[in-house]
Amino acid sequence: MEKELVTPGEIMGKASSMKAGRGVYVAAHNNTLYASLTGRPSIIPPSPDSLDQRPTVEVTGHKAHGAVPEPGSVVIARVTKVMARMASADIMCVGPKSVREKFTGTIRQQDVRATEIDKVDMHSSFRPGDIVRALVLSLGDARAYYLTTAKNELGVVSAESVAGATMVPVSWTEMQCPLTGQIEQRKVAKVA
Amino acid sequence: MAGKPTTAPATYSPSPTTRSKKKPPIFTDTDWIRPDGRGFQQCRPAFLRTGAVNAASGSAYAEFGNTKVIVSVFGPRESKKAMMYSDIGRLNCNVSYTTFATPVRGQGPDCKEFSSMLHKALEGAIIVDTFPKTTVDVFALVLESGGGDLPVVISCASIALADAGIMMYDLVASVSVSCLGKNLVIDPISEEESYQDGSLMITCLPSRNEVTQLTVSGEWSTPKIHEAMELCLDACSKLGKIMRSCLKEAASASAS
Repeated sequence: MEKELVTPGEIMGKASSMKAGRGVYVAAHNNTLYASLTGRPSIIPPSPDSLDQRPTVEVTGHKAHGAVPEPGSVVIARVTKVMARMASADIMCVGPKSVREKFTGTIRQQDVRATEIDKVDMHSSFRPGDIVRALVLSLGDARAYYLTTAKNELGVVSAESVAGATMVPVSWTEMQCPLTGQIEQRKVAKVA
Repeated sequence: MAGKPTTAPATYSPSPTTRSKKKPPIFTDTDWIRPDGRGFQQCRPAFLRTGAVNAASGSAYAEFGNTKVIVSVFGPRESKKAMMYSDIGRLNCNVSYTTFATPVRGQGPDCKEFSSMLHKALEGAIIVDTFPKTTVDVFALVLESGGGDLPVVISCASIALADAGIMMYDLVASVSVSCLGKNLVIDPISEEESYQDGSLMITCLPSRNEVTQLTVSGEWSTPKIHEAMELCLDACSKLGKIMRSCLKEAASASAS
């Protein structure tokens, strides 16, 4: 197992004996694997029950690179705008990594919760400034990624009350301000 | 008073700019002598470093003789200018000169043209499927223009892209050759560029032996073009080795 650094364009092996993982690509014209990142290569042995018994070679980048939202990843976003049928949010973290520059996401009315999706009131689910945990549905359109909070563990994680204190969740749909005791409506995430 | 023949009013017209230098006639039987004492097929010593700009995702600094270039890469990030959705990533290049880069203070030559040429040179090497909907911005700043600027910018930009972790098919190395009379000189400096009859620049992927861009200008004959291309490709593969060792050094220094 080589522990030497590789740079983009270096030959990693033959496609007949290895599969291409992340950071490696196959050149069609001569069936060779080339690296596409700078970093250390690692060979992952194949799982015993898979049909293809070739080991996978991948290259892990040497630098911590900023994350990009992918469909299916859980993100943390801050709500910026709440409108009648959708809410805009700035994606700040993808999984455990924070992004270098924010991406724009949209939570549509039908993606807020799983039940009674046509009776959702956006203003009772989110307010500007709330921190939400959401799942990326798709790449969306040119302007924003499509996000969803339609799961128990997705939704508002932290919110500030009108009085300015961080609110405490009391149920699936309500949060309470510790200073004034006022209850506000949100789509609350169940943090395990 | 009346009756005087109207003489043309005295006008002030500036003398033509000294941009188009008058070429001294190069006799076909004398050889050009390189001002910095290099051989005709000797390139300038290359100095490359990554990590010059902390704020950028990736950056590189290159010094080839008197040509000094800094390239910073931002991305993949969202682009406000992107109006249309795109399945694949986008590349946005910008080359600019500082005001003190040229001997005469002021706007550098061919800024806009260099930006689109840099774009053409790099777009073939980046795997754009890996960052859909986002944009990679490449900003090149020429600090001092000592000749052969665009090849240095291209090579430096590909190191910056590798430093930023953008997936590429291969590094991009670029070398240019000037034709002066009957001599072919590689890696020309600005004085040689002003006297040249023609110039040829090749951008290639060294380990895959593929050319992404070929730019020829001036007077060339077919055998000379062949000879120049061979020279350039050979120099590109050597430059590719230097670029790889620079990247590996930087990566191992940051890892340890």
